[in-house]
Amino acid sequence: MSEAVNEAVLKTEKVTKVYTMGKREVRALSDLDLQVNKGEFVAIMGPSGSGKTTLLNVLGCLDKPTTGKVVLDGVDVSKLPERELYKIRRNKIGFIFQTFNLLPYLSACENVELPMENTKRPKKERRQRARELLKLVGLSGREEHRPQKLSAGEQQRVAIARAMANDPAIILADEPTGNLDTENKYEVVRLLANLNINRGTTIVIVSHDSQVASHTERMLLLRDGRIAKEKQGLHLVKKKLMCPYCGSKIQSNDERCPSCRKRL
Amino acid sequence: MLVIVALSFSLAIMVSIPAGVVANQDSIQSLTQSFNSTIIATEEQINQSTTLIECSTSTGGMFSGPPSDMSGPPSGMDRPSFPFTREEFYMNESVVGNISSIAGVKDVILFLVKSSSETTQETITTPMGDFTMSRPLYTITGVCLNSSLINEYSVLPTNITAGRNLREGDSGVLLMSLNLTEYYGVGVGGEVDVNGTSFTVIGIYDQAGQNSMETRGVYMNLTDAQMTTDETGNVSRLDVYAEDVSVVDTINAQIQTMYSTEINAREISVQTYADRLANLQSQQTRYTELLNNAESTVAQTQSVATQEIIVALAATSLIVLFVMLYTVRERTKEIGTLKAIGFSSWSVMSQFMLEGIILSLAAGVVGIGIGTVGAPILSGVLLPAVNAFGSQTGGFRPATSLGSSTASAVVTPTIMLLALGAAVLLGALGSLYPAWRASRTRPAEAMRYE
Repeated sequence: MSEAVNEAVLKTEKVTKVYTMGKREVRALSDLDLQVNKGEFVAIMGPSGSGKTTLLNVLGCLDKPTTGKVVLDGVDVSKLPERELYKIRRNKIGFIFQTFNLLPYLSACENVELPMENTKRPKKERRQRARELLKLVGLSGREEHRPQKLSAGEQQRVAIARAMANDPAIILADEPTGNLDTENKYEVVRLLANLNINRGTTIVIVSHDSQVASHTERMLLLRDGRIAKEKQGLHLVKKKLMCPYCGSKIQSNDERCPSCRKRL
Repeated sequence: MLVIVALSFSLAIMVSIPAGVVANQDSIQSLTQSFNSTIIATEEQINQSTTLIECSTSTGGMFSGPPSDMSGPPSGMDRPSFPFTREEFYMNESVVGNISSIAGVKDVILFLVKSSSETTQETITTPMGDFTMSRPLYTITGVCLNSSLINEYSVLPTNITAGRNLREGDSGVLLMSLNLTEYYGVGVGGEVDVNGTSFTVIGIYDQAGQNSMETRGVYMNLTDAQMTTDETGNVSRLDVYAEDVSVVDTINAQIQTMYSTEINAREISVQTYADRLANLQSQQTRYTELLNNAESTVAQTQSVATQEIIVALAATSLIVLFVMLYTVRERTKEIGTLKAIGFSSWSVMSQFMLEGIILSLAAGVVGIGIGTVGAPILSGVLLPAVNAFGSQTGGFRPATSLGSSTASAVVTPTIMLLALGAAVLLGALGSLYPAWRASRTRPAEAMRYE
């Protein structure tokens, strides 16, 4: 849908993050350059301690880089004070967490409405949009359920709907499948892939699960605070509606290739 | 839940202490008022009669005759001798002639005061036990109904609530005190039996403020009174009026010498304006002393109350503080999430402030409930008791028997509203720091894996 567009949604220039632990300095990110274009589905991989979480925090405006520049949707967020940053987080970024982080005392629908609070959207419209988003992630009919009544996979789908609430420029997912079993893992990955194909949502996921990462279109391997390797993922082929294994034609919502029966 | 209970108790204390203090103040205030009105009433009376020399036999006064029957303490105790027993003495009307002939005497008014033969049972609580004694139901006062005397001097009750006052020539009729008409259930025009003779009620007077004594009584023509009480020709009191204040002492001296035997035998007492004024002054001193006692205990109570309220206030806000700090700590991840998905620090802070206020308000409602029910008990436990009389009971009683009443705390709507306000304020105060802490949570806390 949006291959031709090469517009950068997220761009980092020589981002360095140094943590001071007592007298020791830990360099989590060093001179990292990264660009994510509009409509891309990118995975950031790497062993633990490679700086994955730090990078995601910096990209998501949860943390500030020590030096360097982070440009999100044309805005240099590394210069913004906290009183401006929350608006960026609310309007430009959708966050998906490993532990879902739904509020336990709110219903699925209310959880999805949460980011729209304090926005100009009228209450009725927020509810309407929350319902649409829940339908999009396949949870219509479960709107009034509390998180504890939902399975892990369903909870993560509510979280995805919540991340989409304010139509963000980019969705950042931190190990979105880390707490899920195999079945739910693929369901969530497929959901994210479909959102990317059908709605052109830009998605960056951080995962150490190479199977999950392989379903994206671009994989970045992080090592010692910088990008060590970059390779193409299966998703790129899927975007062209062609089975990556046998080359036959497929539909974007196919779970398996119609001819070779391999899982897509 | 436990928190709400703990909070509500400290708020209940906050409710009942002011209620107790208010009750104490109220009781002191009404005590002061009743004292003052007694003093003023007596003063007025005395001032009206500067030329009065009161000669009375020892039947008058507060104890209208000895108790005719007494049933002692129920549990086999020895029956103590009743201390107020004394004989009744009456003067013959003929003394009027003697006194009137004294130079400077303007008028002499005759009274006959005697107890009714009808009695009533009364229970008296003493340190030795409860005594049931029968005492006269009411006092019969016979007045010489000479219109010039009635009009000039204070002879008859003044506050007539129904019917009319007695006037010259009245016979077979009487003026009755309000409490007695209530006792009998009769009104103006009703028939009443007095010591076997039937009388018509012609008027009703309110006994409250009348000599500041709440005694039951009837007023009637002197002759009627003498007849019904079998005291024909006898009187119990003479009000001797001098022509001028300057001769009062001379007349007094003459009466004293004339009846020195009777006076020495305490059968007759003679009192002048000056004597009565001296009495009044000593009474006033005693009232003042009592009031000072009461006020000092109230002041003591108030300082204790202030301390206790401060403790309760501090406890409430500390409970809110710790609970909210705990909550914020427990929910760090949730707060981080809220901030990560775009909540401002301010909205997080106000959220937690609101939570603290709601917590404290809920506790306030429960606390006011407990306080309203338990205020008398709680304030009784928490505050020193106020007793105006201490050990000096007996002797006299103020017009309304409020002297020894213990203050019973009542929670007023004002106190309730104040307590609710305090709850909101303390909730806000206690959650200020925790809410600020919450607002400072880093959004990256959302990433914490528990």
